[in-house]
Amino acid sequence: MVLTPEPMRLNENDKDEAHLAFQQWLDIPFWICLWIIAGAYILLIAAMLLADLSYTTPYDLIESLKSEYIQYSIRLSLISVTISAILSLWVAAPIGYILSRVSFPGKNVVDAILDIPIVLPPLVIGLSLLILFQAPPIKWFESTVFQITYAIPSVILAQFTVACAFAVRTMRSTFDSINPRQEEVALTLGCSRWQAFSLVVLPEARRGMFTAFTLAWARAMGEFGPILIFAGATRGKTEVLPTTVFLELSIGNIEAALGVSIIMVAAAVLLLIVIRYYGLDYSKQGVA
Amino acid sequence: MNSTRNLFLLTLIVFILLVALLFWETSPKSNIADGQAIEFYCAAGMKAPIERIGEAYEKEFGVPIQIQYGGSGTLLSNIKIAQRGDLYLAADQTYIDIAKQEGLLQETIPVANIFPIIAVKKGNPKKIQSIRDLLRDDVSYSLANPDAASVGRTCKTLLEASGHWAQIETNAKVMKPTVNDVANDVKLGAVDAGLIWDAVAAQYPELESIYIDELNQGEMTITLGVLSSSTIPTDALRFARYLTARDKGLKIFEESGYQIIDGDVWAVKPEIVFFSGTVNKPAIDQTINAFAQREGVAIDTVYNGCGILVAQMKAGQRPDAYFACDVSFVKQVGDLFLDYTSLAKTDIVIAVQKGNPKNIQSLDDLTQVGVKIGVCNEEQSALGYLTMRLLKDAGVYEGVRRNVQSEVPVGPFLVNQTETGSLDACIVYAVNAHPAKDKLDVIKIEHPLANATQPFAVAEKSDHKYLLGRLLNSIRAHHDEFERVGFDWLGGSTDNQNADQWTKDKVKTLTGEEL
Repeated sequence: MVLTPEPMRLNENDKDEAHLAFQQWLDIPFWICLWIIAGAYILLIAAMLLADLSYTTPYDLIESLKSEYIQYSIRLSLISVTISAILSLWVAAPIGYILSRVSFPGKNVVDAILDIPIVLPPLVIGLSLLILFQAPPIKWFESTVFQITYAIPSVILAQFTVACAFAVRTMRSTFDSINPRQEEVALTLGCSRWQAFSLVVLPEARRGMFTAFTLAWARAMGEFGPILIFAGATRGKTEVLPTTVFLELSIGNIEAALGVSIIMVAAAVLLLIVIRYYGLDYSKQGVA
Repeated sequence: MNSTRNLFLLTLIVFILLVALLFWETSPKSNIADGQAIEFYCAAGMKAPIERIGEAYEKEFGVPIQIQYGGSGTLLSNIKIAQRGDLYLAADQTYIDIAKQEGLLQETIPVANIFPIIAVKKGNPKKIQSIRDLLRDDVSYSLANPDAASVGRTCKTLLEASGHWAQIETNAKVMKPTVNDVANDVKLGAVDAGLIWDAVAAQYPELESIYIDELNQGEMTITLGVLSSSTIPTDALRFARYLTARDKGLKIFEESGYQIIDGDVWAVKPEIVFFSGTVNKPAIDQTINAFAQREGVAIDTVYNGCGILVAQMKAGQRPDAYFACDVSFVKQVGDLFLDYTSLAKTDIVIAVQKGNPKNIQSLDDLTQVGVKIGVCNEEQSALGYLTMRLLKDAGVYEGVRRNVQSEVPVGPFLVNQTETGSLDACIVYAVNAHPAKDKLDVIKIEHPLANATQPFAVAEKSDHKYLLGRLLNSIRAHHDEFERVGFDWLGGSTDNQNADQWTKDKVKTLTGEEL
């Protein structure tokens, strides 16, 4: 098992083997410190999960899975969260590219505005959405086309509002890390902006896009405050997994709340692992 | 060639597939017929009984109940902003009072009473018996935040009064935002005790309630409200009646450990027998029809002279409510009713033809020879009885009786006869003469007995007392109808000297309002 990286070889001619071994030996306390710190945090997370598991039993877990409301909330969670994450990615990629490549007056303000969903308390986001949707044109839309408030679209909109802000941050730093030179070369070779963006930048940004997607997905999965206010906690309608946890907790059914939380953790970990694995794999192919 | 486009297409396809899946997704409630759903905001702590009641109702009537759970205050904010939904069940009455003040509620119906208590682990391992025990060194406890949770506010008020609050507040291990957070603390063992509602503790098999004197005065009523925003008030009220029926919803509440109120008896369409003096008809007819339509109940209103109504009751008829022409006509059958509230008043007057051709100015003038007079029958009607009492007290009874040409059961007949000229004068209620005020002149009678007060009473044995409480509220809300037809509105103040506190409380529980 290799716990430390290969030592860097700055100038092989100057360093003899003995010196190198000594340097490697000197690094050991440093790596030990890093591992202790990292281990402590990982242990904390693992211990939390263990504590949860110790409070609930497989029986509770199976009982909660049997409830058709909880089955519904699992399905709704997975579907709505994925939709929100895809939407976030579509919106975040253009915004991130603009922020990274274009300078324009008021850019700082735009930047700050994009942080608002991250900074605002979740309940306030829900409240703001709810108030916004009382505007007469939107009310008219809701009564004639389809209902958003307190219905499934509001779940997705609430998740998207927050998740997208995180995706924007990720996409921006992704584009920042891509050297604009290659696009410029493509432009001088006769590519249009769109061609340069889609043929040169995006393939390179693929890894960042997967990160943005998973971040948005994970964020949307845990979203609760805005949903509680804007979509409500209606059983079998706008009930997602965090809502279920809240509902079970508010009647003191801690066992079921934990059962659902464990389902959530399992689903999230599984999906994140799968996406990361394929995402990274795919991006390597793309770059090659 | 273009892998970016492929990637985009991939996400697009997944997106479309997922949206399609959402449309396909069926709620667990889809087996219920597609009636318009009742949108119900419910305090999350009452999920257990409410979910059962909702399911029972859905099963029985095929009406979907969409229950949205949350903290009482959070839900209230939602109701205010969204301006939609049908019912609101708050954890205690304070939120209902706020909602009522803000015009968000139409009707309110009480459900159960709750008390603040000390919750401890089952078996009370720390032997906590009093508020003093909480301050022991080996005892830790958590409180609900008085600004966020009503149980916290209630406890603060009570303990301030008993002088314990300052100490209790300083020594609390933690303050939590909701009553359930406190209960969860005790359940998890994070603290030894918590101040919460007894009904909440009853939801936790692991907890035990310790009732203590200092907190016993903190009784609160859990109240269900029908929202002004409801577009289906009749459906909402039917479910509200089901939820608060002592043989339906309240039974489930009781099984969940709540101290329920007595409640009405369930009926899909309750049938109410309502006796009312004829004089009240123009003021309440519309209100009663509108009420019956909104509530979805059948009200069989019997208008008649109060003497006849009293005779019918004495013969064994049992109306659910009685709106008499005068207080004296409730007292005769007082044992059948909870105490009454006086809603309106009307003067007893002399009505003459326009221009007063016989120049009648007082009761004495009615004794003059040749004056044709109409009065109401003493046995059949309240007006007749009151006229008789008035004339006797004024000492003109014999003289007036000699001139009586027409004696009828109700006042409007006399007004018609005077209008056509077959009578010179009649003694009627001011409200009887009011519709003909263009053709008649009204002479005021200066005498303390020259008026009648109209009291509303609910039958003690009625199965629908709370429904009738709402009817009373509805009549009070439409008091402009009384003023329009010529009554003086008393506003439901009780002027009955014998009205004891129990009665006032009773009226308050039935109508949800202070007298």
